[in-house]
Amino acid sequence: MTDNLLGLLVVIPLATAVASVALIRHRIPQRVLGLVSFGSMLVLALGWLSEIRDGDVLVSQMGGWPAPYGITLVFDSLSGLLLCAGLVVALGCYVHSFSMLDPVTERRYFHPLIQLLIVGVNQCFLTGDLFNLFVGFEIMLMASYGLLVIGGSRRQLGQAYKYLILNLIASTVFVVCAGLVYGMFGTLNLADLARIVDARVASGEGLPPGFVGVSVLLLFVFGAKGAFFPLWFWLPDTYHTCPVPVAALFSGLLTKVGVYAVARTFPLIFAVGEARDVVTPLLLVSAAVTMLLGVLGAVSQNNVRRILAVHVISQVGYMVFGLALMTTAGLAGALYYMVQHMVVKSSLFLCCGVMERHAGSDDLDRLGGLLKRDRFLGVAFFVAAMSLVGLPPLSGFFGKLVLVREGWADHWWLSVVALLTGLLTLVSMLKIWTKGFWLPPAEQAPPAPGRDGDTGSGDLRGAYAGIGFLVVVAVLIGLAAEPIYEIAFHAGEQLTDPSAYIRAVDPHGLIAAGGATGGGG
Amino acid sequence: MRIDSLILRTAVRLVLPLTLLFAIYAALKGHNGPGGGFIAGLITAVGLCTYRMAFGQRAFFRLLPTHPRWLVFAGLSVAVGVAVVPLLLGEPLLRSGSITLHLGGEGLHLVSAMAFDLGVLLVVVGVAIGMITRLGEELDP
Amino acid sequence: MTTVLAICVTVIVTVSVYLMLSRELKSIAMGVFLLGHGANLAIIAMSGSPVLPGGDLRQPPILGGENLVDALPQALILTAIVINFAVMGFLLTLLVVTARKTGTLNVDELALEDPPVASPEPDRSADRGVGR
Repeated sequence: MTDNLLGLLVVIPLATAVASVALIRHRIPQRVLGLVSFGSMLVLALGWLSEIRDGDVLVSQMGGWPAPYGITLVFDSLSGLLLCAGLVVALGCYVHSFSMLDPVTERRYFHPLIQLLIVGVNQCFLTGDLFNLFVGFEIMLMASYGLLVIGGSRRQLGQAYKYLILNLIASTVFVVCAGLVYGMFGTLNLADLARIVDARVASGEGLPPGFVGVSVLLLFVFGAKGAFFPLWFWLPDTYHTCPVPVAALFSGLLTKVGVYAVARTFPLIFAVGEARDVVTPLLLVSAAVTMLLGVLGAVSQNNVRRILAVHVISQVGYMVFGLALMTTAGLAGALYYMVQHMVVKSSLFLCCGVMERHAGSDDLDRLGGLLKRDRFLGVAFFVAAMSLVGLPPLSGFFGKLVLVREGWADHWWLSVVALLTGLLTLVSMLKIWTKGFWLPPAEQAPPAPGRDGDTGSGDLRGAYAGIGFLVVVAVLIGLAAEPIYEIAFHAGEQLTDPSAYIRAVDPHGLIAAGGATGGGG
Repeated sequence: MRIDSLILRTAVRLVLPLTLLFAIYAALKGHNGPGGGFIAGLITAVGLCTYRMAFGQRAFFRLLPTHPRWLVFAGLSVAVGVAVVPLLLGEPLLRSGSITLHLGGEGLHLVSAMAFDLGVLLVVVGVAIGMITRLGEELDP
Repeated sequence: MTTVLAICVTVIVTVSVYLMLSRELKSIAMGVFLLGHGANLAIIAMSGSPVLPGGDLRQPPILGGENLVDALPQALILTAIVINFAVMGFLLTLLVVTARKTGTLNVDELALEDPPVASPEPDRSADRGVGR
């Protein structure tokens, strides 16, 4: 089905960013604009999501150019679910930032940058074109570079470069890969590529030489953005230094876009034929090591923000696990897990922000007795932490259940690792819970100056609203597991059998008629 | 960095208008040949950059009509506006329309993509100027 | 033609990798920029030789007719150049700001979370800087 309004999901945040630039000196109008923007996008996206819950695909051809020639925006089950989850996270973090950011930082283009980040993220989710995926990545990354150093403290500047340089190199490799793919197949449209690759494997013609190399290079690119096993070293340090709402937003969105890119392109194109034999073991090993190392790192830390940051890595391992299975249920499980993880992880980070605000530090030795001081925070943190661990009936349980059950038949060792990781997650979460909330404060240590230089708790209404919103959504995801998993299952079906996707992108059969013949040079 | 040289100052006074003229040429040519908003913006920025080098920061600010932020704002507004108008008409995003003005001869072919290019030009100039001034702030006020 | 381009790409990438292995952020930034140029040249090489076997040149697509150059790789490169330009501007500005705030662009010194002078326990801060 064609729906030209899909472009709104990119245009609304862009227009809001432009308007925010004009209003840069006025905080309140910028906030109202931002809320309107996130709210309207969320309403639109949820509307479309309910429209496609039976597995339909919405498509818009930008500029009116038909599929293999123009840029296509696709709203299918995979991108729809992630888009909605991403917008929920963004809204929660945005509201939270109202009471957590100091006014000086906020005036330094915080609002335009956050809107631009959403432009990039939405474009990544919606695009049906490999090169446009790169552009989306770049918009997102440029905004994230800006947000990462916003405020410009010495620590932030020092730690930002790891993230910056790694991502710049990865982006360059992405451009080269896009060029190579174009040279091999003469097209960059994902649906067209899927068709050509499928046809060449089916007809026994085989894939062009170097295809496997491109697959692995792209895995490097997406792995660097998604913090897969050997490429995760940038993550703990960067999330540790930037302002809390930004860290929460990054933990919810940035790595997931990397995982999304793998989920979108690999089952369709880059893990087909002989490439699958190379990519699958890489993904499996990477999943296991990412899960285990991530959680071990989390258990060993003694600092709330670092524990949460390292947990992001471990959770990415679960998603890679689901992707590596490349079965319908495995992909669906990974997708469901991603959705719940985005919401839960961000809410944990937001809780951590309030904890820091109360105690003036996020060092577990200085925290304590927070449950007495702030009931709401304690309950919210407990609910979020337990859904991260995966206790039923909270949302994490269903994601893990699907993944472990699906992996059991072929890769039982991976399922064992996943269960073990779950246990260690519980250990690390209980560590925060007991030391931070349950036990009385060790000794009245003098409150160290907070990260942003303020120690008073101040007005926390925005922070509570953000946390409350995300935690309620997290619980709802657990309670409404069935309908959400159904959409995720449709996504899994569309990824394992791309014919519906191809038909939707190309209703007139231009691709099938051989619009691009392969071999561009 | 300011280079104090009479030769440079005289040369820049002559070259700056030519550079701007060439930028306009490149922007208009971009419709049917090599050129376009981005490159025209860069050419403009290079011209302004040489002016900044010859006359210093303060003279440079006097030359600018407004804060670079507003250039970026204007450019982005134009570009987003051009992209969105087709949506209101029920067409997909970024669809370009065209009209031909009959002024004798072949007529003048105007395309909405040219307005988009103008937006790009303004953004590039604004960003480049912003960077030049920000980086040059401490070298000589 | 393609061979020449391939050699150019090799040289550029070699130089850029050499620069990126440096400890000075300035050199690393230059290496990253150079890598971008290498990537763009690689795409040009990928789009096939503009020289036809007979010695004639392919025509620019806007002229129409036969034997046209494939325009899409050039569109890709233009986009990549624009993005590179933006990234370059941002990175250079950030380098200047960093140099002003911290007084150093050395990777090892920046990796320390707290400046060694201000830190009460210099040994511990050094331990925290490396290893992760």
